[in-house]
Amino acid sequence: MKKKVYFSAAFLTLLIAAVPASAATLGGKIAFEGRPPAIEKVKTDADPKCKMAHPDGLASDQVIVNPNGTLKNVFVYVKSGLEGKAFEAPKEPVVFDQKGCQYSPKVFGIQVNQPLEIVNSDDTLHNVHSLPTQSQAFNLGMPIKGMKLKKTFTKPEVMVKIKCEVHPWMSAWAGVLDHPFFGVSNEEGQFEIKNLPPGQYVIEAWHEKYGSQTQSVTVTDKDAETAFTFKAA
Amino acid sequence: MAKPSPSLYSISKTFVWFALVSLLLLGSLIAIVLLDHHRDWKNWQKKFIALKLEKTEKELKAADEKLDKKKIQDLRLEIARTESDLKAHQSERAARRKAAAALEPRLARAKARAQDLKQFQDSYKYFFEEYRVLGDRRAADFEKKLAEIAPRLTEAKADLEDLEKESEAKKAALEAFAQKEKDLQKALDQILQEKTRVEKKIANVKPSLAKDILNAPMLDFLHPSLQIQQIALDGLEDDYHFAKTQKVDRCTTCHLAIDQKGFEDAPQPFRTHPKMDLYLGAASPHPVEKFGCTVCHSGNGHSVSFITASHTPHDEAQAKEWVKKYHWREIEKWDAKMLPIQHVQAACAKCHRSVVEVPQADKLNRGRRLAARYGCFNCHKISGFEDRWKAGPDLRRVGSKVDREWVIRWLQNPRDFRSSTRMPQIFHLSNTQSPDEKNRDDAAIEAIAVYLMKNSETVELSVPPAIGNAEKGETFVKQLGCLGCHSLPGIKGGDAAAELSGLGSKVKPEWLYAWLKNPRHYSPNTRMPNLRLSDEEAADITAYLLSNCNDPFEKSAAPKARPEAVDQMLLDSMQGTMRHADAQKMLAGMTDEEKLEALGKKSIAHQGCFACHAIKGFEDQKPIGAELSNESRKDIHQFDFGFVDIEHSRRAFIAQKLRDPRGYDKGKVKAYYEKLRMPQFHLSDEEIESLTTFVLSLTDESMPLEMQKRPDLREAGVEKGRLLVSKLNCNACHALDGKTGALRALTEDPGAAPPILDGEGAKVREKWLHEFLKNPTPIRPWLTYRMPTFGLSDEETKTLVEYFAYLAHENISYKGAEVPETSPEKIEAGKKLFGQLQCAKCHEVNADSAAMGASFLAPDLTLAKKRLKPEWVKKWIEDPQTLQEGTMMPTFFADGQTPITDVLGGDAKEQIEAIRDYLYRYEAPDKTKGETREAKIPIANQAA
Repeated sequence: MKKKVYFSAAFLTLLIAAVPASAATLGGKIAFEGRPPAIEKVKTDADPKCKMAHPDGLASDQVIVNPNGTLKNVFVYVKSGLEGKAFEAPKEPVVFDQKGCQYSPKVFGIQVNQPLEIVNSDDTLHNVHSLPTQSQAFNLGMPIKGMKLKKTFTKPEVMVKIKCEVHPWMSAWAGVLDHPFFGVSNEEGQFEIKNLPPGQYVIEAWHEKYGSQTQSVTVTDKDAETAFTFKAA
Repeated sequence: MAKPSPSLYSISKTFVWFALVSLLLLGSLIAIVLLDHHRDWKNWQKKFIALKLEKTEKELKAADEKLDKKKIQDLRLEIARTESDLKAHQSERAARRKAAAALEPRLARAKARAQDLKQFQDSYKYFFEEYRVLGDRRAADFEKKLAEIAPRLTEAKADLEDLEKESEAKKAALEAFAQKEKDLQKALDQILQEKTRVEKKIANVKPSLAKDILNAPMLDFLHPSLQIQQIALDGLEDDYHFAKTQKVDRCTTCHLAIDQKGFEDAPQPFRTHPKMDLYLGAASPHPVEKFGCTVCHSGNGHSVSFITASHTPHDEAQAKEWVKKYHWREIEKWDAKMLPIQHVQAACAKCHRSVVEVPQADKLNRGRRLAARYGCFNCHKISGFEDRWKAGPDLRRVGSKVDREWVIRWLQNPRDFRSSTRMPQIFHLSNTQSPDEKNRDDAAIEAIAVYLMKNSETVELSVPPAIGNAEKGETFVKQLGCLGCHSLPGIKGGDAAAELSGLGSKVKPEWLYAWLKNPRHYSPNTRMPNLRLSDEEAADITAYLLSNCNDPFEKSAAPKARPEAVDQMLLDSMQGTMRHADAQKMLAGMTDEEKLEALGKKSIAHQGCFACHAIKGFEDQKPIGAELSNESRKDIHQFDFGFVDIEHSRRAFIAQKLRDPRGYDKGKVKAYYEKLRMPQFHLSDEEIESLTTFVLSLTDESMPLEMQKRPDLREAGVEKGRLLVSKLNCNACHALDGKTGALRALTEDPGAAPPILDGEGAKVREKWLHEFLKNPTPIRPWLTYRMPTFGLSDEETKTLVEYFAYLAHENISYKGAEVPETSPEKIEAGKKLFGQLQCAKCHEVNADSAAMGASFLAPDLTLAKKRLKPEWVKKWIEDPQTLQEGTMMPTFFADGQTPITDVLGGDAKEQIEAIRDYLYRYEAPDKTKGETREAKIPIANQAA
């Protein structure tokens, strides 16, 4: 019986892969309950270039609660349900910028072996230091404005911290996956996982401060919605 | 009247006797031959042949399955087709051959004709030209002939060419037939090669009539396929009590696949050796021709039977199994019994002498470490381990640290105070359980406490300047690196030193404060280093450590010595040297305190406390333990098993001794001072096994020099360093020499962990390292961990410097800072790069950056020229991550490419060198003189 389900799921996947228009999008909102933590200001005095970019000080980007009461920068991805399927890594790179002494994006997903294009848009020295436990770590000095370097992650790992030792407030997080089904909540608290084939999945939502939550979701060939709620610590 | 016998004996009876004896002789002969034919090892060899046959047949099947069936099928079909083609065209082939042959004369004729005609033409031409010049009228004739012969010659040449073409085509067609067949056969052979190889192998292994005949009784002296295999070992001898013979190992007679890969899962005795890369192979460090089997495993190598080879089961279950299967029994007369597999590493020490640790011998090494940890070397003399340090603290000033009551409670059972303590239990053990013996134990305990207090020097202790903050103290303990050696209640740290628990119930605050400030002030030989704590730090840590108390211990009873027990024990101890009446008289003249002190001295001497602890009055005393230098070869009859019912083997004795050191007194009648004295260490099973392996490794057996691992000068230097590194416990913090630093593992961010010291010898200058080790100064201001001052002697410092240098294959030079040769242009380029790469952003400490939090600070680069070796600096700038995993220093030359193209032609290698050269001439700006960040550059090529 179970086998039959797998078979029909596999069949459906094939069908959907052939007709991408019928793939579903799993969307949703990350709600935030409770009082948002006070926004901390980071002192950037030591690097005049950073100070110039933020004369009034820089707000910490660890927790961003949107005006509509939702949480930004939550990484949502398919944790399980795709076993045994292989997905080719896109050639299109994920662009990771250092601008105004901050990382952009702060939280992002990337596929295994997909190029990560690291850009320094600042006129100051940054170092990009990744701290993966599965892939080879890198620590690159980027002293020239406009310079670009390319790197990849070779093994899935959620999440990989990226930090800058020159500016200790700078940190970013990469969710490295062997499939393309992930999203990050935006200024509205919305996330989207596109082209998800029908099936049963465990979806995980991860936040730097508030940890992770999982949900089981069944996806048919129609777009679906799901929601996560993080509570103030 | 009976006729007298013509002879003196009855002939018929003689015949009968003769027949009987002959039959008996024949029977014996047959029995001998049969018994010889059915010897154990022959059966094993036959079984192995069957196994090998089965395995090879499987291989054949696998090889067969691996073949591409379709391809073979196609090939076979093609071959068949070619063959049938060949056959079908046999007649045509013959005809062709015939035709080809028949062509030959025609060809020859045609060739001759063409040649003839050519000759005629040439002669006609000659005569025509000749006559024409002479004006002869015959010239016209020849002209006519010449004209006639030309077309005939052309025709003949064409004919010849046609024929040649025909002949070549026919030959090629013939050839093609044969070639095609050849190619196909070759392809087929190639594909079947593996199969053919295995088939041949099977033919070799498979029993055959010829082999049976060669192995038959009486014929098997010729060239049997079943043979005893043996390895003769030069320079090694087996001891047969009073007779020594050359060592010969016949183990491979049955262990037939020991050095053949592929029998890893086979049943014994046919299994492949599990560590082929380390043993047996010609390329391994222990080739079988040189080391044989019994050098490591022990046992009787001459034997070819299971029992007399002296196999040893690894546990009782296996012993039972063996008895059932092989009627196994222990061979009492053979001394060098096979080492049970769990202790086999004991044999490594035979050849690997003078090394701190034997590579890959984890259990033996663990045993050695445990022996040092529990102070085994302090009580037992063991040759090769004389240079070990005392395991327990110095008690010559103990009165400043703890009080008498604490010592009494502690000695009752040290584990009541701290369950993780290394201090063994000495009193109230299984052999002193009677009420009288308990009283004597209590008397001895108080007496020892009295002796220690009375014979303690007083140390000057200073009071903390202010009451410390325990919370801050806790942070310091966790951040300074204390956890490298100490654990905290509930927090697992190192176990080289005592767990920091219950100190509030043990030590005086002023002692702890003074101890933290300078451990050597209290104990000149302590292994605890000086953390260079400020008064405030020391006060805070003192407050924190004293906040942890052990209430049940404090409330527990501290039994008083009964005077009659004290008297009785003193009388007993004086028995040998004094008359009873004199002794009694002497006692009568002593005060209670004096008696206790006298008994304390006697008790310390009796129990051997001074072996692990320095105690006043026992400076020259010999330790009480038996020498263990040759324990693994001590005669089994010299072990006193008493009434303990265990297997009578060395390893069983040792394990039981470690488990219950006083247990062999069970059931014996002994006076108090005759009883066994080894204290109870409360060892775990795993510790007992490792320690047993260690004790079984202790031997004075002399191995031939060429078999021993003998260190050269550099290796000896490394070993000397290793011992010191283990004493100082450098690995508690640093990753070094194949060991991961314990504190490094505890630290989440590798950039904030104590540095990796692999390759340190290639990195830093010997002169700098020497100075640093003597007097450490911070290099990495961002680390909370603090490199302590170990108070090393010059000799110890030298040992460490050499250790690091030799470990990194470096030569030692105590020369100062040598500056690499360069040019002013290069320095200028280096300066430019230094600015463009913004090195000073991290490598310069200023007030602003310090206020941001310390995480991004980097070493002061003015240190570089004194500290670092120029070659290393280049490698470091090129790729810091490979030299120091997780370092905060980024690479600016990712994949060997530079981001700056307009300096030195964008050549990364040149640029790195330029930065290095600049660095060796770099001076930090002197802010007091109003200097900016501009560095001063001295003239090139001048030593700094």
